[in-house]
Amino acid sequence: MVAGIAMLAGCASSGVKNPSGVPVTHMNADEQGFVTGTGVESQDLVAVTDKMARSILAIPQIASASTPPKIVLDPVVNNTRFPINKDIFNTRIRTELNKKSLGKVTFLARERMAALDKERDLKRTGEVTSTTDPKAQEFLGADYFLTGELQGLSTRTKAGTSDYILYACQLIDVRTSAIVWEDSAEIKKQGLEDAAYR
Amino acid sequence: MKGFLQAALLACLVAVTGCATGAKPLPLNGDVFHDAPLAIEQGPPRDKLLWQYRLALAEMRRGQFDAAKPVLDDALLTLGGLYGKDSEARKSRRLFQQEAKKTFIGEPYERAMANYYRGILYWRDGEIDNARACFRNAEFEDSDAEAGEYKCDYTLFDYLDGFATSKLGGDGSDAFKRAEASARGAKPPAYDKSVNTLLFLDFGPGPVKFGAGKYNEELRFREAISPVQSVQVKLDNEIVNIKSADDLNFQATTRGGRVMDHVLANKAVFKSATSTLGDAAIISGAILATDHEHEQAGFALLAAGLLTKLVSAATTPQADTRCWEALPQFLALGQFKLKPGQHTATVNFLNAEGKTDPKFAKQITFTVPEGRDAVIYVSDQSTTPQTQ
Repeated sequence: MVAGIAMLAGCASSGVKNPSGVPVTHMNADEQGFVTGTGVESQDLVAVTDKMARSILAIPQIASASTPPKIVLDPVVNNTRFPINKDIFNTRIRTELNKKSLGKVTFLARERMAALDKERDLKRTGEVTSTTDPKAQEFLGADYFLTGELQGLSTRTKAGTSDYILYACQLIDVRTSAIVWEDSAEIKKQGLEDAAYR
Repeated sequence: MKGFLQAALLACLVAVTGCATGAKPLPLNGDVFHDAPLAIEQGPPRDKLLWQYRLALAEMRRGQFDAAKPVLDDALLTLGGLYGKDSEARKSRRLFQQEAKKTFIGEPYERAMANYYRGILYWRDGEIDNARACFRNAEFEDSDAEAGEYKCDYTLFDYLDGFATSKLGGDGSDAFKRAEASARGAKPPAYDKSVNTLLFLDFGPGPVKFGAGKYNEELRFREAISPVQSVQVKLDNEIVNIKSADDLNFQATTRGGRVMDHVLANKAVFKSATSTLGDAAIISGAILATDHEHEQAGFALLAAGLLTKLVSAATTPQADTRCWEALPQFLALGQFKLKPGQHTATVNFLNAEGKTDPKFAKQITFTVPEGRDAVIYVSDQSTTPQTQ
């Protein structure tokens, strides 16, 4: 009996959490997973960019334009306490707009200008072939800038941590500087750590 | 008597086997570049964050900023996701489990510093808004101090928050006022957006944790006297003296009580009470056992006393003293307006008498880019010479 109890006690000794591991769990990007914080997460990004894309397509400047307006994405400004990958925000808005607009908008690849410039120079010097006159200026100018800002308000008390984030996007007419569209989304999260961490 | 001996033997055996951890100790040799990757990969997951902190700072001090980034990113991800139930944390509150068995995240000053260093790296990459997010988060880590006057009282974090806002075209005056209000030494300089070179400095030995109290249940911080008190920078024929903006010893020791301190205090009371009770039962039992009439009752009391002593011995009120011991004591910031191109700075660390110690002198060569800030990080523990 003594040996049996000793063996049992010994087996429970390592204190390893999830000793057999946790299998990979597929989640939808818009659902809250079991690993969460109070910062910017995938479900927030999906919800916000979906809302913005739907909203922007409904405005007359886009919906009723005779030719697709040309838009440049200006990186969002992060004014929260959470560092974020701003490219992912821009990329999702762009892909959603491209997907949903069915050609009603044209995005300009300004972030690729260095590579595009290089390619144009190669064409102009005759080092590579060109199907059009390489000397012609064909890089398009923007009609609108699409940009945004994330603003945050954080509170911590004994009851826990609360983070409110306001996601605001704007479409700016580059000729007049008029803000022709603006929309926002708000997300608030709260949480409290285990007492061992307080 | 025979039954009592069997019970005592059984209890001892269970206690001894239950203590075995099963994990082989890692072959650490004291070199952080050897130990940290090994501990992160193969060590207990509960210590991973601590080793990531150590590794990231060591990488920064030898100028390997790209190596430090992913390590800090992973650490900060862990920090940001600690809400809700945590079985390891729950266990660490139990009577028979040490606090050090919980996942290490560090005290607020350690968490703040992890954010601060990541902020420096974001600024280096030109991502000023993300840098600002890190400085804000660093300040936020200090928001749970017990006394209101010590909440969010880092001068540099607020100053940098406002400076970043100002650089981004916003109004950083609120953050500047907060920085001014919490400055314990010289007032911070007004923002100058034409500054294009930021020199982040840290120096002196930071706080080291130790356990005080009868059972080491009280978390305390050992403060060493720093051989370095300020910095002198020679750059482009200009000599600039820079004083510290923040003192981590001050920050570590002004947080006040933790919730966990109450848990540990309760554990200590339980340990002490059971020990005293066990002593009393053993002595009373031994006296009774000598009396033939009360022999059985005496042995029963003796057994109960021994068991109580075992319970007392198994109670673990020790405070978690795992520590990011490589942190500095002082944080400082130098600001320069330099022409784009390569520059070399000589950084001398001065003692209390204002004298330089050649062993701390650093030489840093760096390039100021066009249209962006140059961000330099130098510690009295940095390798030298360095090109950043």
